[in-house]
Amino acid sequence: MAKPKVAFYWNASCGGCEEAVVDLAEDILKVVEAVDIIFWPVALDFKRSDIEAMDDGEIAVSFINGAIRTEEQEEMVKLLRRKSGLVVAFGSCAHIGGIPGLANFWNRDTIFERAYKEVPSVENPEGIFPRTETQLGNESLTLPEFHNTVRTLGQVIDVDYYLPGCAPPPESIMDAVTAILEGKLPEKGTVLAPDKSLCDTCPRTESKPEKISIKEIKRPHEITPDPEKCFLEEGIICLGPATRSGCGERCINANMPCRGCFGPITGVGDHGARSLSFIASILGLEDEKKMTEEDVQGLIDKIADPAGLFYMYSLPSSLLKRRKMV
Amino acid sequence: MKKKQGENPKIIVFCCNWSVNPGLRLSVFPDEEETTFKTIVTMCCGRVGPELILEAFTRGAWGVMLAGCPPEECEHDGNYKARKRVLLIKKTLEQFNIEPERVALEWFSTGESDKLKKSVETFIEKIVEYGPLELSS
Ligand code: SF4
Ligand code: SF4
Repeated sequence: MAKPKVAFYWNASCGGCEEAVVDLAEDILKVVEAVDIIFWPVALDFKRSDIEAMDDGEIAVSFINGAIRTEEQEEMVKLLRRKSGLVVAFGSCAHIGGIPGLANFWNRDTIFERAYKEVPSVENPEGIFPRTETQLGNESLTLPEFHNTVRTLGQVIDVDYYLPGCAPPPESIMDAVTAILEGKLPEKGTVLAPDKSLCDTCPRTESKPEKISIKEIKRPHEITPDPEKCFLEEGIICLGPATRSGCGERCINANMPCRGCFGPITGVGDHGARSLSFIASILGLEDEKKMTEEDVQGLIDKIADPAGLFYMYSLPSSLLKRRKMV
Repeated sequence: MKKKQGENPKIIVFCCNWSVNPGLRLSVFPDEEETTFKTIVTMCCGRVGPELILEAFTRGAWGVMLAGCPPEECEHDGNYKARKRVLLIKKTLEQFNIEPERVALEWFSTGESDKLKKSVETFIEKIVEYGPLELSS
């Protein structure tokens, strides 16, 4: 029997998801033995035309990482969708928008202005900006359109499963691949990670007091956190309570708080708003009755960039999706 | 942006079931047809999470007001939570280029429906100045 065909593709991403596949180490041999990788731009020289020549649904599964920022990315994922039986949104950016999604605090014009004019390392007195078509003698050169707004993969095509994480850990990639090969798949639309919060599996949960009251917000660089204590206890914002478990507590074990790359647990519609909510609830909890509005404001002012912090990975998938542009 | 002609402001007022709502029912509901705001009764203003406020905005609300009990009068201490959340959400909304004044939290005791009516009116006046919230896509 022919081996199932598998594709890997990347969009607005950092390359870390490709690295995560390489991090499968020896396990990648098992994958290669079981499947036929027919498309993987980072490693194999196959072209878009090769995909176009395939029958619809011929690819068993496409693992697509990255958010959708350009016209080309949109075309490619629509093509892969048509040619694939299953599409797995691979990693935070495809799943919830990820770090590239933070660009939704700006738009195309402000990003171009910054990147092609303002940054100190750029000199562009004529104000030349990328455009979709440039005439060069008799030739016309084209570039894909750069969209105003970054979208998640699921906002552009129908997605069957989500493999969360920045990047997804090798174990969960192997679990997903095995489940697909064995046909033991959960309901369509499932996020392939435990439906528990990170706090449920965090090694610091045990010592965590029942009631936490943050007296003062601290940023991770301002103190050396006690490696035994829950970050919230020390006044460091940790998104563990609203974030899905399954990463192996990578940041926590490196003595850094969670920033939410696994996305929200089931039932949370807006990861950032939920995080904002629980942080606000425990801010100055002990003295909340004695505090004046100014006291509360003073505590809040210590959160330098709430939107960037609470929506660090999830802005495009949030309710507001982006900053309102004038 | 100013109010567009013929467009009525869409204002949501989340009202606490225990203090504000009973009085409000007597004073406002008979002429509800004419009010420019809709009330949603909640069991405590502390239950109005930021997700609900944001959802109201994505569904076309121009402004959202939370009407809760004054500090010492809430049986659930939810009003203290609401105050902290509203202040934090205001700061966050600013980063989304949304006027923080589009969210308001006011305290009312049982029987203060006149005060509530006035507050809502003042709130609406201000929000009409801002006009509809046109979110970018
Ligand atoms: S808040 Fe963070 S540090 Fe505390 S228990 Fe949850 S995940 Fe662990
Ligand atoms: S601790 Fe949080 S941010 Fe870090 S890898 Fe896990 S889910 Fe992602």
